[in-house]
Amino acid sequence: MTYPPGNPYGGGNPYGGQPQPGYGQPPGNPYGQPQPGYGQPPPGYGQPPPGYGQPPPGYGQQPPYGGPPPQGAPSGVPATLNPQSLPDDDNVNPYVFCIALNGEWFMSKGAMLAYYGNIQFDAVTEYSSVQAWVANRFSSPVYIQDWVVAQGHGKLLIGDRGFDLNAYDLDDGNLTIKASNLCAFSKQLELKQSIVPGFVTLIGTGKFIASSNGPVIFVEPPFRADPDALLGWADCPSPSVHHDAQWMTQNIRGMISGALGRASGEERQYDFTGQGTILLQSSEIAREDPAVLRLVESQTQLLTNAQAGSLGQRLVARAQQQH
Amino acid sequence: MAQLTAHKRVLHADLHGDRIRAASGSMVAVEGNVDFKSSGMGGGGGMRAALKRAVAGESISLMDCSGSGRVYLALDAMDVLVVDLAGDTLTVESEHILAHTEQLRLDVQFSGLRGVTSGQGLATTTVSGHGQVALVSEGPVMALEVAPGAELVVDPDAYVGSRGQLSMNLVSGVSWKSLVGEGSGEPFSLRFTGHGLVLVQSAER
Amino acid sequence: MSFETVNSKVVRAHVSASTPVLARRGAMLGYSGQVTFRPVHGQGRGIGGMVGAAMSGESNAMMATEGTGQVLYGYKGLHVTVLELDGGAPLVCEADRLLAHDANLQTSVQFLGSGGMKQAISGAMTGQGLFTTNVHGRGSVAVLSHGGAFPLQLNGQQVGVDPQAYVGHVGQLSVDLAAKVGFRDVVGRGSGEAFQLRISGHGTVYVQASEQKF
Repeated sequence: MTYPPGNPYGGGNPYGGQPQPGYGQPPGNPYGQPQPGYGQPPPGYGQPPPGYGQPPPGYGQQPPYGGPPPQGAPSGVPATLNPQSLPDDDNVNPYVFCIALNGEWFMSKGAMLAYYGNIQFDAVTEYSSVQAWVANRFSSPVYIQDWVVAQGHGKLLIGDRGFDLNAYDLDDGNLTIKASNLCAFSKQLELKQSIVPGFVTLIGTGKFIASSNGPVIFVEPPFRADPDALLGWADCPSPSVHHDAQWMTQNIRGMISGALGRASGEERQYDFTGQGTILLQSSEIAREDPAVLRLVESQTQLLTNAQAGSLGQRLVARAQQQH
Repeated sequence: MAQLTAHKRVLHADLHGDRIRAASGSMVAVEGNVDFKSSGMGGGGGMRAALKRAVAGESISLMDCSGSGRVYLALDAMDVLVVDLAGDTLTVESEHILAHTEQLRLDVQFSGLRGVTSGQGLATTTVSGHGQVALVSEGPVMALEVAPGAELVVDPDAYVGSRGQLSMNLVSGVSWKSLVGEGSGEPFSLRFTGHGLVLVQSAER
Repeated sequence: MSFETVNSKVVRAHVSASTPVLARRGAMLGYSGQVTFRPVHGQGRGIGGMVGAAMSGESNAMMATEGTGQVLYGYKGLHVTVLELDGGAPLVCEADRLLAHDANLQTSVQFLGSGGMKQAISGAMTGQGLFTTNVHGRGSVAVLSHGGAFPLQLNGQQVGVDPQAYVGHVGQLSVDLAAKVGFRDVVGRGSGEAFQLRISGHGTVYVQASEQKF
């Protein structure tokens, strides 16, 4: 027996130390402890995906490990999953989501772990030339080359670097999310590029899947978020940038780097006001997002040739400094 | 007899005057009187097996842990799974092996075309015999069943291992190539047919 | 004041005029209320602490969080363990493990292990992190680890710990740095260091499920 029966995610506190909220929680409260002062997910956003925080079908059923295995599987191997026992549009475990594909879904390149059935993958760029509606749904030239259309029938398992995966149901709504955390979305939704760099907005009625480093934390405005920890927001107006005056005056180095980039995050935050919900994660080890380069490059058209040359020199200096 | 127990991301190996093998550098803590000794590359089989491994590029560096006490083993905060083998065979990508009890036998098998372009896993490792083997994975392992009418396609980076009467083919082609990024990942996927279980982890890289 | 565990990777601090917090720079995820951040240089109290910190490289860029509000802390998705110090034995850990702590706690730098200055310097040179930070006083500390820290209770017995996996310890413990014979072959995926921390006495040792330092 390798895991406590019926509680595969360490409700039994495997380290004997700190409890790990978010794992092995009672059903209905998938995002850890009650969060007074921090907004609960409003209806329609980030609803508790069933199967997250409760043993999903076929996974963690009693006895999950070491019990009488089906078909003579070696003991210790987790309960067997097959096309019938895999959930429909639900989490298999906190890190894997199963799409019951019957038609088309948009999917991030590289998100696929495995699939059963007859599924075809086409680059969005190619697919849109055949199917005109695709271009309407996916209106972001910066991100389009990182995406594919999955088409067909079957069970499609997706994951993202072992991060937590959550499904979000939009009901005639909109939610803006960090582009590198978006894994898949149903074709009923429309994707648009946010004005905030690195973020995209999903609009309409449908489902999308996004990853987070650790469980998602929901908070309400007024709130200031570190850009690295910001996963997304719903309903509230786009954030403005807040510079910490005290930090800037006390830390001259921070001020200089604040002009070009960011030193540690404490000197600069995204400021949210109004009504809505903000989604946070533990700040992640930055993954190279190819779209950011394309995004910034397109902006350099605003520069004169002399300005572009001067920027180029500064960038070369920065690149050399980091090595 | 040595006992392996998984505690989420840490493996407890309880030794009672006997020996296990574990991935080199995986010891995070040790209680009692345990000696560590490099046992070279994984598996047994002498010179021929060693040559095979050198050719195949399927190599893991293992150490012998012997004595009495408890060894805590972990690799890069990955999840740990202990599989009990009772005379059957498990096929595993070698980098997923954290430890195994002494009685098990590790072998390297060529698996045909697989890995031709990737430089990884020209061969795979088989674990057989009576005993316990501990595997590591990014997130918990899923055991996906393969049966006639339920063929399975897996991303090579998510593949951990398999057992049963399975045959593995490479899937390539335009559809698959559009799925992986330019220059990232492998330009093919693995298609399993037959009868058996495929172990898949929660991360694709 | 205590840190509230939001999930395995994030803690929340209720900051007030009487309960400021010291945290690693770059660890603030977000906040509500009237909160300001002030960079803090050096470490420890007094000249001794500063000199020690500068020499050992154990000084970590910290910041003070002041004002009134709620602040979320986390760092690069690493696991967070909250420890309550009762004012008795200090917490010993490496400076870069400290995510945040009550500002009334005091820190100082210490060389961990035996062998005197020469070994200390060589240890620091090889990046083995033999200089550690002591956290004294009564209050809460949030400690970072890769994959979570598990406690090992010591009641007089000895435990050997991989320096890369060592997170910290609390209690009446003595720590020795042992170069173990035959160990060179089996430790250190790339580190090449044949060292092991030998810890004995009465207390708790925290170990992470990974040999990766950050």
